[in-house]
Formats: sequence, structure tokens, C-alpha cells
Amino acid sequence: MTILFQQLSNALALGGVYALVALGLTLVYGVMRVPNFAHGGLYMLGAYFAYAALNSLGVGYVPALILAAVAVAGLAALLERLVFYPLRNAPHVHAMIAAIGVLFFFEAVVQLIWGADFKQIAEPVPGILNLGGVVITWQRLIVIAASVLVMLGLNFFLKRTLTGATIEAMSQNREGARLVGINVNRVGMLTFAISGALAAVAAALIAPIVSVAPSMGEVMNLKVFAIIILGGMGSVPGAIVGAFLLAFAEVFGGFYINLDFADVIGFAALVIVLAIRPQGLFRRGT
Amino acid sequence: MLEVSRLSVNYGPFRALHDVDLTVQEGEIVVLLGANGAGKSTLFRTLSGMQRPSAGTATWRGQPLTGGRPEYNVSHGVSQCPEGRLLFPDLSVEKNLRLGAFVHRRDAAGTARELERVYSLFPDLVGKRNAPAGSLSGGQQQMVAIARSLMARPQLLLLDEPSLGLAPMVVEQVFQAVQRVNEAGVSVLLAEQNAFAALGIAHRGYVLEGGRVSLQGSQQALLGDDRVRSAYLGV
Repeated sequence: MTILFQQLSNALALGGVYALVALGLTLVYGVMRVPNFAHGGLYMLGAYFAYAALNSLGVGYVPALILAAVAVAGLAALLERLVFYPLRNAPHVHAMIAAIGVLFFFEAVVQLIWGADFKQIAEPVPGILNLGGVVITWQRLIVIAASVLVMLGLNFFLKRTLTGATIEAMSQNREGARLVGINVNRVGMLTFAISGALAAVAAALIAPIVSVAPSMGEVMNLKVFAIIILGGMGSVPGAIVGAFLLAFAEVFGGFYINLDFADVIGFAALVIVLAIRPQGLFRRGT
Repeated sequence: MLEVSRLSVNYGPFRALHDVDLTVQEGEIVVLLGANGAGKSTLFRTLSGMQRPSAGTATWRGQPLTGGRPEYNVSHGVSQCPEGRLLFPDLSVEKNLRLGAFVHRRDAAGTARELERVYSLFPDLVGKRNAPAGSLSGGQQQMVAIARSLMARPQLLLLDEPSLGLAPMVVEQVFQAVQRVNEAGVSVLLAEQNAFAALGIAHRGYVLEGGRVSLQGSQQALLGDDRVRSAYLGV
């Protein structure tokens, strides 16, 4: 029983991180209709920016997380301007190839500056919490709480503010959004900035648990694309549900079957769901 | 007044509009008749800033509408209710309407007033204000579309095929609403295939054929014209 709860906390923390990264990707897809393959690169940069802020600037963990979020948000908005905006009328495959190029570029720059070896971020609150035999590290609790908090904030922004509504409006009907006078360029940049900030927050949260490496973006890319395909491309609830499904499949599959199979189990679940619902869990059939 | 002068629009080598001249005076309802592909929607897309013309001018009260920036046109008093409605299907009716007032986002009181007005114009929508727009019937969705374009507080309303696919009773309701909007001081340019209903409420009209204005005249003149009668009225 205690082992079950321990695995549960692992799955919730992992799911929270997946959800934050996947939410940004699905929002950008909804608004731009382009799969941003550079998204994992933004996540990876978030981890390195947090690492640099902690070690070079010497700020605390929370300011480092915020700095990383702001920096990656700005970079993502710039990415929209410099890469995706000029390609908006080109065939979609051009933007996809460009995004992959950006991903490799980010990795190369990071290797040049910080090297290819693993970096470690110290836990801001070291130690564990013992809840009647269930042992949870403080960092996992922080990850769970912070990711839930960020998701609630995002939900408030999308559902309760007019600016948030413009993002949903544009993903549901781009022409209609233009006709009511919504500036699609501004919404595009804003959506990219939000996706960058979410990815950076996720990276800074998980960095003390895993190691920071240039290749972490590619691994995350694979997972979050699986998640948003599972949940339905462009769907916000789909991204959240998909993220937790994948995290639970990985953690429990890895624990009860075999740790080496953790990734296999996650993707097997994806294949099964898509065989039954090709449009994803939360997207209407077209 | 809306002044369209020698307006031409090309899609690649295809010329969709050819030297179109057209005016809408303040307070008028002007109907634009024409078959599918005659260029009605192209003209509307150009007037709302979605499409840039290759030649010619279009102005509303002296402001150019041809800059290719819809947000400019909407904030200068020209609002379009598009063919096919282009609603935000998963958002509530009320949110669709509030987004219609996006260009007035700093004027919350004015938007609240306008919301009351469009609900009194379309009382059917009051009970549906929290329902997703996509869940409504075709006629109600058309009302949402018109109401959304009114939320921008237009001086000139561009209505593209509002009766398309609607039951005759609903068409009547929609046209009554258009007439009331016009009586409140909004000029209307109305594209229609349902020529009989449209000419019933219009002051003047134009017939568009193959991207050119082939005929224009008053309501009476068009209703009496043999070509209009055989082509669009089926009598």
C-alpha cells in the first residue's frame, strides 16, 4: 500500500511536468496549426537557463525559475516572429523542417556554452516527507503543487479573460477571429510566449529530480507529441488527461512489469488508444 | 457612405471582380444579387479587409478599407457577418458575442449595453447564452453570427448570405431583425441568393454576374426587371 502511494506521487509529479509541456505545445498547434518540433528545445533551454541563473547569477530557486520562464517566453515569441511568421503561407512541411532545425540549433548552442555533460540543480528544499510510512521527496511535492497551480492559472486566463478567449477563438475559427478584429499576429506571439514559459517552468521544476542535458529536449519532444496526439491535437483538456495517462502508464508499468519497459508501455498505450479513436481522446471526429 | 470604385480582385490568374462600382448611402439597405461564384463573397472579403484588391478603391466615410487589416475596418465602423457564420463553436454564445466587441475591449459599459440590445433583438438567444455556439440550431447560429457582428457597433453592416440553409420562417425572422438594425441607423449591404426576401427589405440593389455589375436599380426597378425575375425570382 505504501509502495502504491509512493508510485502515485511519482506519477503525479511526472504527469504534472508532462502536462505543462504538452499544454504549451497543444495551444501553439491550436492557434498556428503547426506542430512546433522546437518545443522540446524550449524545455531544454528552460532547464539550462534555470541552472545558469542559480549558478552564475547566484539567485535563489524561485527567482531562477521565474527568470527562466521569462527568458524562454521571450525567446519563443522571437521564434514565432523569425521562423514561423515568415513561413505562414508556405506549405506546412517548411515550418516543420525549420522547427527541427531550430531544435538542433538550440542543442548545439547549449553544448557549446555548457558542454555535453550532465548538470545538476540542487533541490531547493532537500530531504523527504514521511507521511505514515509513505516517503515523498519535498521536490516531488513542489512539482505537483506548482504544476497544479500553473494549470489553474492557465485555465483562469483562458476561460475568464478576453485575451485568453482570443487564443481559444483563434484555434476554433481563425477567419472568424480575424473578422471580429483580433490581431492574429499578436495572438500567435502571445501563444508562443505562453508555451515557452510553461515549458521552462516544467523544466525548472523537474531539473532537481532528473539531470540536465542537451538531449533532454528530444526525449521530452517524443513524449509530449505522443500526449497531444493521444489527447487530440489542439485540445487543452486532452493534453492534461494525456499527460497523466502517459505518466501513470510509465510509472506503474515500469514498477509492476519492468523498468526497462516503462517507455514501451507508454507508447503501447498510445497505439491502442489511437487504434480505437484515431482523432484522439478529446477531439471531435471529422 | 460606402464608395467602391473600379474595384478588381485577382486570385492568381483568375479575376474574381472586375471594375466594380458600387455605393451604399447612409441609412440604406442595398442588396447584392448574384449566383454562386459571381463574386459576392470576394467583394465582401475585400470590404472587410480579409482580401486585398489588385486595383481600385473602397472607402467608408472616406476611410480606406483596402489596407488588408480587418481590425482596422472593424474599428472604423465596418463589420461583416460572413457566409457560413464562422462562429467559435466550443465557446458559449455570450463569449462569441463578447469577442464580437473585441475592438471595444476598453469600453466594458458600452459592451454591456450592446449585449442587452442584441439580446432584445434576438430574444431566442437569451436562454442559450451559456450554451456552446456550435450546439445551437442553424437559425440560432445565424442569429449569433449577426449579433456578433453587431457587437462591434458597426455603421455599415456587411451581411453575406444570412438566409443560406434556413427554414422560411427563420429567414423571415432574420430579415425582420436586419430591418430593425437598419432602422436603428446602421447601413446594410446584403448579399443574397434569396432575392425575393432580400428585395423585400432593400432600398436599392445590384446584380453581380461573372465578377461585374450587370444591373443596378431601385427595389421597384429590380423587382420589375425581366432578367431579375427569370434569373433570381423564378417567375
